[in-house]
Amino acid sequence: MKNKGSILGIVFFVLIGVVPFFAAFLYALGYSFGVLGILNDGFTTRFWEQVFISGEFLKSFGYSAVIALVSLALSIGGALWVTLKFRRELDKKFLSFMMYLPLAIPGVVAGFFMVQLFSKGGFFARIAFQLGWIEKTSQFPDLVNDSLAFGIIVTFITMLIPFFTLLFLNVYKNERIEELSILAQSLGANANQVTRRVFLPIILKKTGVLIALYFIFLLGAYEVPLILGQESPQMLSVLIIRETRQFDLSKISEGYVVAVIYTIVVSITAILLFLPKRKTAYEI
Amino acid sequence: MGISLAPEGGTPSWRFTDLQSMSEERAILVGLNGLERPDRFLKPVRSERPADRQVELREKISAFAEMKKLYMDTKKILKTFSLIPILLLTLISCNSEQKTDDSGLKTASWEDISAKAKGTTVNMMMWQGSPVINEYMNNYVVPQLREEYDINLKISGGQGPEIVQLAMGEKEAGIASGQVDIVWINGETSYQLRKIDGLWGPFIEQLPNIKYIDLDNRYINTDFQQPIAGMECPWSIGQAAMVYDSVKVVNPPRNLDQLETYVKKYPGTFTISNDFSGMTQLKSFLAELGGSPNSLNGEFSEEKYDRLSKLLWEYINHNKKYFWKEGETFPKEQTKMSQLFANGELYLGFGFSEGGVEEKVVSGLYPKTVRSYAWKNGTIKNTNYMGILNNAPQKAGAMQVIDFLISPAAQFEKSHANGMDSNTILEINRLPQEWASKFKNAPHRQYGLEMDDLKDYAIEEPAPEYMIRLYEDFRTLVIEK
Repeated sequence: MKNKGSILGIVFFVLIGVVPFFAAFLYALGYSFGVLGILNDGFTTRFWEQVFISGEFLKSFGYSAVIALVSLALSIGGALWVTLKFRRELDKKFLSFMMYLPLAIPGVVAGFFMVQLFSKGGFFARIAFQLGWIEKTSQFPDLVNDSLAFGIIVTFITMLIPFFTLLFLNVYKNERIEELSILAQSLGANANQVTRRVFLPIILKKTGVLIALYFIFLLGAYEVPLILGQESPQMLSVLIIRETRQFDLSKISEGYVVAVIYTIVVSITAILLFLPKRKTAYEI
Repeated sequence: MGISLAPEGGTPSWRFTDLQSMSEERAILVGLNGLERPDRFLKPVRSERPADRQVELREKISAFAEMKKLYMDTKKILKTFSLIPILLLTLISCNSEQKTDDSGLKTASWEDISAKAKGTTVNMMMWQGSPVINEYMNNYVVPQLREEYDINLKISGGQGPEIVQLAMGEKEAGIASGQVDIVWINGETSYQLRKIDGLWGPFIEQLPNIKYIDLDNRYINTDFQQPIAGMECPWSIGQAAMVYDSVKVVNPPRNLDQLETYVKKYPGTFTISNDFSGMTQLKSFLAELGGSPNSLNGEFSEEKYDRLSKLLWEYINHNKKYFWKEGETFPKEQTKMSQLFANGELYLGFGFSEGGVEEKVVSGLYPKTVRSYAWKNGTIKNTNYMGILNNAPQKAGAMQVIDFLISPAAQFEKSHANGMDSNTILEINRLPQEWASKFKNAPHRQYGLEMDDLKDYAIEEPAPEYMIRLYEDFRTLVIEK
């Protein structure tokens, strides 16, 4: 019975998850080589060449990767700090509610919040103006749609810190880090050593795959960079959607080229991430 | 779970490692086959008694066999399913298009069309970014159609590229009966739809109310330099205009030279949106650089575009350091421009419907000191249209809806200055006396200009290629620079 259930599960997974994904990938591949699409006339590598010649994709890829890395590093750092310092306080209902509230906020809403708070006509600009720190609201620093992607990174961090805190706290409890720390201390380790040799290695090792998956997720984020990003360079998903919906119909295939490259890169990363784990499972 | 803290002894560090790997194995196994008895993996890593060890080993072997079976099953399933996408793809590319035969409608009598339209559900795709337009469509048009013609009109959001993508996607998939019947279009959207043979028609001669529209007017019968040829029914007409706040700017710029002086005086308060409206503004600038309001008329000329656009990009790149955000980025769309204007970041704006000031002031978005004004060399004046898609399942219903939309009653309702405030497409002199006087006596706008005020500053829409090229070049030669 158990086996039948799991096979049924896999059938559903394949039907709902794998088949549409695979079909969409093949469609994009066909489009990118001019095989599909009513305005394309047959196989050509023209679109692939154009994407690499223009360099926009590589720029966008690098830009997205840097934003994802910076956001992730800061969020993990913040979450580790919160877990280390405030785990007892977070057991209290009210505090944990406040802490986890951002988890319930969708990306679009978080994006709009950022605009309301940090734009030149926003909440903080107005306060700065009322306090006389700036003479005109336009003197307020550029924090939204800015070239350093401040708005995007802050939004990602706001959304990620609660998530990682929740995750780290669970690992902390499940892996009995508390007991291990006491044990280490009883064997003569100081607080610093406990953090570096017990707390950090266990937490990071346990959550490594999830962190890597979150990197991929941030790499492909759409709504937040759409609202808070600038027009160039754009993050990958924004670029792909723009390319596939552009007015010049003859260039739509270039958007599919970007989508295909992105999918391949992400798939390879995911496979690399999960391969060693599968080996461990068989080794039992 | 803490059991493995005390296995066979050894150093603490060994125990930590063991603890970690233990829970990892457990996690993977529990996750992989939904094990109902995770407890068997929670036992000590090595037992003291050989009998226990045997049991443990057997359990492990059976778990391994289970996993292997699962792996083989998955492989089998995957093999079968890998054929599905290929089948799907074959279906997508090979499906022959079956068109429903609606050609009879082009010659049928209006009574027959009306009878056929009764009781249908008609789907319409239109831009839903304006509350007043949505209000008009949902609270006037939809109930009226239901009451008068027993037609159920359903409206979904989508404009320009989305409409084209939908039509392209359905055509590629060979869908004979599409999701959408009517689309609200003009310019490059109709150009693209015609390029992929997405529009159905000609049909407008069949509509009884078409007699009130002056089809000899070039601003109406020509959509971006292309004759509408009965494929698009005119719905509204309007002209773009500049917008300014009379309190913040005393003498707003009226040509490119004055604009250059303006941005230096008020840095950061002017920009161009990277969308349809912004490109329309750029077309006005291009015409000005060409020397006259008519300089872009006629078919697309590569030579003319290259010459004028070079001047335009030089002008913008030279001055963009005085633009909003020092020209490093541009607002994505018109709604963003309106927000920036409303919150005081921008002092100058640009918009369709003679600037679109009235509704925004009345609704409180803009202060009462905001006005629209004319650009000296002129701004684009154009018409927007209703089209029927080639694979529309309810073409008769669509024709009935469109005829209602250009009826004097519907157009009068649409023109209310404190409502949707959209210029009527109808020629007032052609209307029955009763309607003509209603239109003439209707209250005027309080804040924005009327289309008539701008008639000496009107430019025809240039060929669609200008827009497409401006989009591309504005991105590569200005935004990405």
